[in-house]
Amino acid sequence: MNALHEQFIAESRELIHQATDDLITIEREGVTKERVERLLRTFHTLKGSAGVVELVAMSLTLHSAEDLLTAIHVGRLGTTAGIIDQSLACLDLVSRWVDEFEVHRSLPLRADDEARVMIRRLRDLMPDSAPTQQIAPERKTSAHIGDEAAAAWVLRLIQSDRAQNFLRAQPRSTELVAISYEPLVGCFFNGDDPMALMRKIPHLVAFNIDAREAWPPVAELDPFACHLRFQGISAGNRAELSQIFRLVPDQVRIIDVPLERFGLRQSTGVVEIDSTALTRAVITEQRRIVDVSHRSEDFTGRIGAAARVAANAMRHDLRIELAEQIERAGATAIRERNVEPLLSILDNTIELITPLSPRAEGEKAETGAQSSRRAEVERAAGHWIRVEESRIDTLVNLVGELLVAKNSFAHLATRIERDIETGEVAQAIGREREAIERLATEMHAAILQLRMVPLAEVFRSFPRLVRDMSRRFNKKVRLLTLGETTESDKSIVDRLFEPLMHLVRNALDHGIESPDERRAAGKPESSTITMQASRIGDRLVVEVIDDGRGINPDIIRRRARERGSLTLEELANQSDEQVIDLVFSAGFSTTAEVSDVSGRGVGMDVVRTTVEQIGGWVSLASHVGVGTTVRLDLPISIAMSRIMLAEAAGQVFGIPMEGVTETLHLSPDRIGQIKSNDAFVLRDRVLPICSLAELMNLPEKPGHKSDARLVIITETSGRMVALEVDAIRDPLEVVLKPMQGLLANARGYLGTTLLGDGRVLLVLDLK
Amino acid sequence: MSVCRQEDGTILLEGGCPVEDAESLLQLLQATPGAPVDWTRSNHLHTAVLQVILAARPTLVGRCGDPWVAEWVNVAPASAPITGCDR
Repeated sequence: MNALHEQFIAESRELIHQATDDLITIEREGVTKERVERLLRTFHTLKGSAGVVELVAMSLTLHSAEDLLTAIHVGRLGTTAGIIDQSLACLDLVSRWVDEFEVHRSLPLRADDEARVMIRRLRDLMPDSAPTQQIAPERKTSAHIGDEAAAAWVLRLIQSDRAQNFLRAQPRSTELVAISYEPLVGCFFNGDDPMALMRKIPHLVAFNIDAREAWPPVAELDPFACHLRFQGISAGNRAELSQIFRLVPDQVRIIDVPLERFGLRQSTGVVEIDSTALTRAVITEQRRIVDVSHRSEDFTGRIGAAARVAANAMRHDLRIELAEQIERAGATAIRERNVEPLLSILDNTIELITPLSPRAEGEKAETGAQSSRRAEVERAAGHWIRVEESRIDTLVNLVGELLVAKNSFAHLATRIERDIETGEVAQAIGREREAIERLATEMHAAILQLRMVPLAEVFRSFPRLVRDMSRRFNKKVRLLTLGETTESDKSIVDRLFEPLMHLVRNALDHGIESPDERRAAGKPESSTITMQASRIGDRLVVEVIDDGRGINPDIIRRRARERGSLTLEELANQSDEQVIDLVFSAGFSTTAEVSDVSGRGVGMDVVRTTVEQIGGWVSLASHVGVGTTVRLDLPISIAMSRIMLAEAAGQVFGIPMEGVTETLHLSPDRIGQIKSNDAFVLRDRVLPICSLAELMNLPEKPGHKSDARLVIITETSGRMVALEVDAIRDPLEVVLKPMQGLLANARGYLGTTLLGDGRVLLVLDLK
Repeated sequence: MSVCRQEDGTILLEGGCPVEDAESLLQLLQATPGAPVDWTRSNHLHTAVLQVILAARPTLVGRCGDPWVAEWVNVAPASAPITGCDR
């Protein structure tokens, strides 16, 4: 990708985010001159940059949005929810195009159609005296052709002898595409030859060229102003046409010719694979047979057969009642020699099984593909980090110093060669080593800084999300984000979106009450969700706090009992906190209804799993009627891990520090036996003692019963275990390498690292 | 120049007729309304040139030498509408 494209992509994303934020602020806090001006500037810049990389569809779409905002700016239009919605939808579309552009270096072929639909929607919001006509008079026509008008010219072309001959010769030729092209008046000046594009249309079956308006007298004709309109019908495919006309998307209109609608579909359209379409085709065909045969001699046979076929098709579709109605109508038709009732029931049937409009279907199918494409793009986007210049400068300075330090070794080497003053040389080497060590440490910190990004990167998606969802649930919600400038490693921030999204969704769907309920409970109608990030020691803490109804432990107990996940006895022994913690287990949901947003019991499980994968943990505190706080405790950086070195049976293992709560020397009298296991009591909790050597299948060192035993207390997912080891060494900061090669599938290890003496250290996964 | 007036007053289009020819053709037609246009020897017409023909509707001599135009464009006599060709 060239630098221009890279810059365009990064800048566009930034601008889209900014415009989204501004739109939401305007909606929430009202219009001010400054806000609209800022928004206009953002849209304008976005449009300009689209123009620079020649994305015409994007540039024109944004132009229409800009028109709308201009109308607001000059006071000809007030902001409505509809305008905000459409502007956000426009940004969504543009954002998707940017994603596509990043992957494919071009807009998708359907972008032209999408642009046209979006432009029409934006224009529909304009006041009647649309200034767009003054700004871009040429574009008005193509965007406003209604379906009916389109049908008229398409029908005229289809009815031409040429097209009719074609259809007769190829009755099964299934798809025809119609195109209308109205070049810009000034296109000749741009060096365009519009007819050259029409010449390229594959499998042209009908063509028309005429003037958009009546010709002026020859004396007044401007030879270099194009007043022509081209229309054609092609038996080629739509994609080819889009490709040919890709540079003039605002001037063409490409539509699929609905042959059925014109009564021109002769056969059953067998190319359509989906069974509904097939059924529809079968019924349509039977209707035709019924229609044409009511005067023929074999009336009885034909009508009987047609009714049977249609009824069977309905049975195949499991529409038994309809099938019976058709059969009855068939019998009546034969008896009374009147096909009208049968025809009408067949018409009704066809209508009934006709699916949604192709556009609606397309949109539906798109969402799936879209999300996977987005995921793909997001992965690609993950390779990029925008870094503050000063951080790079720091690194450059450090490398400079490092080079100086390195050079001094050349000088020292010469001195050793001459074999003089060895004592002094050793001292000098020691000094340089210290300098290099200092530089290496600083450089390491500086490099880690490169990967640090503010939490704002993940928080900024939420105002939009909360806005859309709160409207869907008819709840009044204010989102408060705090501590956006807190920084963490990019890999952590990137992975936080999903868990945070689940938490916010849950808060909105389950936590926050409806305005009525809130009023009844004496709370303000509008609720608040707070997302707060802070740095505590070397940990990043992100909290999602809502002031909703809170989690009732009794309901959780009941659900747990119903699911059979815990016995009555177990439940009775658990504290409220422990019971509430159950919401994190897979498949657990407290709502009776599954909404399309949450309630499937997957979300909270995902939250815990994801957070644990990045080396953190989740905790939840809730008070009935007051609200719920979910706290994510995360490492600041996952590039470095602090580990504790522990020895067992003569071998050294690494144990991640975040799992270690304390280390203890246990005198034999503190240790008791539970079944065949050793255990001891720590602050009123019974902890089992596991021997690390035993866990690793190593021969245990025979010890004296009287010796104090050394244990490391570890805690993961709320479970505490005492790990018995022979010795503990100093903690280390290491860069963990994932297990590779033959060891890749070995369970129980987080990864490996190299020790100072060159040995490989295995780091244990306590989970 | 691929547009010129012949001795008998016929306007002749010859070879490839680029966009500039639209102006020359229009000037000739404005100067002598009713002059016939011979387009049999032009093998490629630019849209602008065709537009002048469609707007002025001169009497056309023979079949257009541009095969695509000959196949698809039917310039009707001055009173009838212009439509796609149904040959």
